[in-house]
Amino acid sequence: MRFQLNFKSGKPVYLQLVDQVKSAAASGAVQPGDPLPSIRPLAEELRVNRNTVAKAYAELENQRVIETIAGKGCFVRASSSPFRKDVRLKLVAETMDDAVVQAHHLQVGKAEFVRLAEERFDAFEDKRARAVHE
Amino acid sequence: MTSPTSVIEINQLVRRYGRTDAVNGLDLQVEPGRCYGFFGRNGAGKTTTIKCLLNLLRPTGGEVSVFGMNPARNEVAVKSRLAYVPDYVAFYPWMTVRDTLDYFASFRARWNRDTERALIDQFRLAPAQKTSHLSKGQRTQVALVAAVCAEPDLLVLDEPTSGLDPIVRREFIQTVIGAYQDADPGQRTVFVSTHLISEFEGLIDEFTIIENGRNVLTLSADVARERYRKIHARFAVEPDRLEFGGARVLRQRGREIELVVNGNTDDVMNRLRAGSLESVTTESLSLEEIFVATLQPGGAVA
Repeated sequence: MRFQLNFKSGKPVYLQLVDQVKSAAASGAVQPGDPLPSIRPLAEELRVNRNTVAKAYAELENQRVIETIAGKGCFVRASSSPFRKDVRLKLVAETMDDAVVQAHHLQVGKAEFVRLAEERFDAFEDKRARAVHE
Repeated sequence: MTSPTSVIEINQLVRRYGRTDAVNGLDLQVEPGRCYGFFGRNGAGKTTTIKCLLNLLRPTGGEVSVFGMNPARNEVAVKSRLAYVPDYVAFYPWMTVRDTLDYFASFRARWNRDTERALIDQFRLAPAQKTSHLSKGQRTQVALVAAVCAEPDLLVLDEPTSGLDPIVRREFIQTVIGAYQDADPGQRTVFVSTHLISEFEGLIDEFTIIENGRNVLTLSADVARERYRKIHARFAVEPDRLEFGGARVLRQRGREIELVVNGNTDDVMNRLRAGSLESVTTESLSLEEIFVATLQPGGAVA
């Protein structure tokens, strides 16, 4: 998978890596069992500290998105959230709160926001369907 | 107080040269495994501080400890666990690159031959070449190879990239630090002083900005990029008067305004929205821009 970092986004670099792996796993661009690049080459390619990559991988492992197999590296896990439904909803709500704040700053109203959310959801499902067919 | 976990701990360090205070009350703490940036202009006190860490200078006041030890009283114990690359590197001119590396290795308890071979290849250094025939960049490369191969617990780099051409310096710093932290990264600490900050953007975990011998800002790189932002706003009609406490206006031309904020983005956005705001974008400052914003005349962005 390819990573794209943006130091200007204000989002911690390790979180950008976490989110990109999660979205690749969610969209089917990477499949359960796929290996992730090892830490040093990825750090050198992205021109970041290895600590940053290690922190991202630790966080992904923590969130059970990937697993580390000793001596072999990191691999994408089959997605099965260990959390109960209410906890999962709360996690999504927190992410949406950020988007709502952003919308507020950019003067995007509620109706437009909801329409955009639907559109993004459809786009995501399209992408996922395509990835599964490939 | 010296916490047992810190690799470097500096408390209220003062160092005078005659009547000049080169360092004047500096505090700093570096945890193991970090890549720590020490940023300051020429003459800010960076090299003096580093020399106090290495017992090349005695502090006039305050305390310095490395690996929890006083570098003046435990000189050998401290120096055997660190490697230092100064901004100007000198070798014995009659020695070849090979001789020089062997000479360095003879002082060290450990020497990683695999790393040495890999880095010599990568930098395309010729082992049989006399060091007197090396360019400045190649001399720095040899010094960095020597520092990394000894596998120290602390790597101290003083302006490692100054005077080198931009293509070389970008990639070789990444390579050297990558090779150094490849094994046992939790214990391999880098302390790098520089004023060429953009080259270290992604490498730095945490940094201190020093000015006039004092620390003016210490932050983790992620927190810094989250707090310092540039806002670019355009209004439908030219605003008559804008008040921004806590933000610095970079430029205002007609309907457009650009400002830098520090941690109070929401607040400033709300005040902008009180006008006839047409569009607004925000982006994080780079570490170099934060450095400039912090040291610009007129003081730090509050």
